Amino acid sequence: MLGYIFKRILYMLPTLILTSILVFALIELPPGDYLETYVNELLAAGETVDPQQIEFLRQEYAFDRPVWERYINWASGMLVGDFGYSFEFQLPVRDVIGDRLFFTIIVTFATIIFTWAIAFPIGIYSATHQYSWGDYGLTFFGLLGLAIPNFLLALVMMYLAQKWFNTSIGGLMDPEFIDKPFSWAKFVSVLEHLWIPVIVIGTSGTAGMIRRVRANLLDELRRPYVTTARAKGMTEFKGLMKYPFRMSLNFFIADIGGILPQVISGAELVAIVLSLETTGPLLIAALQSQDMYLAGSFLMMLGFLTVIGVLVSDILLAVLDPRIRLQGGISR
Amino acid sequence: MERDEGVLLKVDDLRVSFDVQGGSVEAVKGISFEVKNGSVLALVGESGSGKSVISQAILRILPDNGRIDSGKILFCDPNGNGDVIDLAAMSNRDPYLYKLRGGRISMVFQEPMTALSPLHTIGNQVEEALTLHHKKTKAEAKTDTEEVLKLVGFPDPARAYEMYSFELSGGLRQRAVIAMALICNPAMVIADEPTTALDVTVQAQILGLMKELQKKFNMAILLITHDLGVVANMADEVVVIYHGEVMEAGTVDDIFNNPQHPYLKALMAAIPHFDMAPGERLVSLREMGAEDGVKALGSQFAVSREVKNMEGPHLQVTNLRKEFTIRRGSWFGSSLANTIVAVDNVSLEVKQGECLGLVGESGSGKTTVAKLVIRALEATSGEVKFNSANGMQNVLELNKQELLEFRKTVQMIFQDPFSSLNPRMTVQNILREPFQIHRQGIGDEQRDQVVELMKLVGLDPRFLNRYPHSFSGGQRQRIGIARALALHPEMLICDEPVSALDVSVQAQILNLLNDLRKELGLSSLFISHNLAVVNYVADRIAVMCRGKIVEIASCEELFENPTHPYTKSLLASVPYPDLDRLLDFEEIMKSRTFDITAWGGAFSVSEGGTLGHIKVGDDHFVLANENCDRTELSA
Repeated sequence: MLGYIFKRILYMLPTLILTSILVFALIELPPGDYLETYVNELLAAGETVDPQQIEFLRQEYAFDRPVWERYINWASGMLVGDFGYSFEFQLPVRDVIGDRLFFTIIVTFATIIFTWAIAFPIGIYSATHQYSWGDYGLTFFGLLGLAIPNFLLALVMMYLAQKWFNTSIGGLMDPEFIDKPFSWAKFVSVLEHLWIPVIVIGTSGTAGMIRRVRANLLDELRRPYVTTARAKGMTEFKGLMKYPFRMSLNFFIADIGGILPQVISGAELVAIVLSLETTGPLLIAALQSQDMYLAGSFLMMLGFLTVIGVLVSDILLAVLDPRIRLQGGISR
Repeated sequence: MERDEGVLLKVDDLRVSFDVQGGSVEAVKGISFEVKNGSVLALVGESGSGKSVISQAILRILPDNGRIDSGKILFCDPNGNGDVIDLAAMSNRDPYLYKLRGGRISMVFQEPMTALSPLHTIGNQVEEALTLHHKKTKAEAKTDTEEVLKLVGFPDPARAYEMYSFELSGGLRQRAVIAMALICNPAMVIADEPTTALDVTVQAQILGLMKELQKKFNMAILLITHDLGVVANMADEVVVIYHGEVMEAGTVDDIFNNPQHPYLKALMAAIPHFDMAPGERLVSLREMGAEDGVKALGSQFAVSREVKNMEGPHLQVTNLRKEFTIRRGSWFGSSLANTIVAVDNVSLEVKQGECLGLVGESGSGKTTVAKLVIRALEATSGEVKFNSANGMQNVLELNKQELLEFRKTVQMIFQDPFSSLNPRMTVQNILREPFQIHRQGIGDEQRDQVVELMKLVGLDPRFLNRYPHSFSGGQRQRIGIARALALHPEMLICDEPVSALDVSVQAQILNLLNDLRKELGLSSLFISHNLAVVNYVADRIAVMCRGKIVEIASCEELFENPTHPYTKSLLASVPYPDLDRLLDFEEIMKSRTFDITAWGGAFSVSEGGTLGHIKVGDDHFVLANENCDRTELSA
């Protein structure tokens, strides 16, 4: 097992190197660089630009060096945790992302737990009561959730909250706590605000999840080993959880690989509408203003988390499914 | 109801129906029978007769859309207080039912692979049956489980306890399922086609085991099967079911020696057996009227054939070998390459117009041989020569164009009529495809040919626009045969063409294949695990085991004078539907060898020498040590 994990981590390296080259190339592709955008902005605002200062900046940030040299600087910096410098914010990338990453993780994990907590019981109910009124009703609401765009739901909820409770539900905490050090009161305030984005972001995911739990479980429910369990004298629920449900979990574990990258990029639109202090809007802004180190760090993190996510789900699958653990033979 | 002495289970006028789209279908129409304490009752019927539904109704594990309409299922527990309980009248969630299932009545299933969960160990699943019904500590449960695993014949119960179902052979899996059924010492075991998915030698062992345990624990067995051979060997009493109704019931003697009902008589006549006179025909339950079609088309074929006038064998396979490399990604970094020899030095000949039967159990490599011959797989070494219009061709060296031509002359009929036809193509398209691939004829001509083919296999050409799912298994297999005949092949390779079919349909297909072969002058390679079927269609038989041909002889010679120990054990394992020729369970259980390929003496090379095919009679060869004493072989 340890050897397997070690091998898998080794396989990750070339993938990550390739990703970093691609990311860097993508950032370099558009004509111009951040300084040009900056100069243009200043000129457009009618201010004068000191060419010497620009030249100084150009050297300072190595914009005059060849591409490969800049790539190596950037990539080797990341290895020691230096993600570069955000021109837009005039701060190291690490400091720009820091807090936001923390809030993003909170929102994302709360959403995931919300999704699972709702989707599993409903999915199981729908599968075991296939074609009943309950199944049809839940399916209808699920499809509704799937069909309504998240940002629209966010707008509607904002409007309703404003109209009925006369409060603003935007943000992740009351305005007075923003940029304040962490405290119990701040934490409570975050919890109070959290449920709106969680519901808004989680609805469509929950609906999709219900459909998948139902479909996978339905496949398993007709398998002979279910009959075996019943013929042994197992009660329906116990048998359901031990055999078909356990069997249907494979798809869900394989899904974990896709969840991690969402931590960074998930739900940008909702975050903008609800003005959440998460990383999504920041990523979009960075891409717009060609803030290359910030954007590059984001994209790298996405790549890294994807690779880690796949690794985690592969390891979990092997742990949970003896067929994968013991039968990994390939014939050729 | 008062208690009947000695009656364990009494099913009285049971009716079960299923809700389907647009109404309900009655699957069991008023069936009654009795199972006596410690006896074996066999429910016999073809697929769709409702026999499995009865077993599900008894345990009240019918699917959600099934329900018991009326009738009684009276159970009297011999260990109980003598109360007679009507299982049919209970509510679905009656606590007694959970105690009954697995505790007093347990079940053995057809497919041991799918009946066991692949995610849980054998020990876990067997033990669960025990702990659901008895309070046991973990250690006690484990001891009991290992004991019952030993009882059903696991050589190393402690190891088996930790293993998963996919790590076991089919026979051992079924033993695990039997262990699961026995662990609570039930009054009755319902065995639903317990050996249908197993090889014939394994089947004999499992049947022997069930019989032995049944006597030992004085259990009753409700045996559900379609195989009259199994019934003759196992049952005390027999109930024959057709379309949810009892056709005939009685003791095993009555049923086999004095069958009354026309259905039962017809069923008996439809089974190929070893005493058939040469040329004797199976009587199919439902004739399909294809004979005229075969004769009509036969004359067309014959003309094209005579021109060729070939000499020598039609197909000659020499020293054929196929290796598969299995790479196992091990958990500790390094990967182990494992070479498996699927086909080992196989040589055989199919003469002009001859049918060679290839018999072997699963994994013996018989299908691989077929695939190598038509070059669906590439052989590792060896030669395949095919006698065609331009003399003997080496099939393994044909180029792409020549291969395309070659494939017209050799066609295959597949085992599974369900998955070998594309469900999204109409029959018309399925049958036209060969013409399109080989660019023969244009639209109308192709359509006429397709109509001819349908007539040839006895199907109404009006069905051409239907999809495969609207046909029964036998009809689908006929479509498969029509497709194989489309290009007027010279040779047919039939890979288990009837093993997925019911007995009555099987007779139909076998007769059709026989007629086609005779009228069209086709040579064929007929692959099957069923010796009786092969005996019916083949002229000579080659017996395969572990990739090798161990014996090859004409049918009569092989059955009268089997020489190789494997052939002998194969013949000794076939259950005949004949009370005068029962299986010798004592002999079968005595050997209890799990490795049936551990032959000694003249048939092994443990004392040096090489294996070779030694002639022991006219056209009769057996695989043995070339240095052996020849007289040992004739003994």
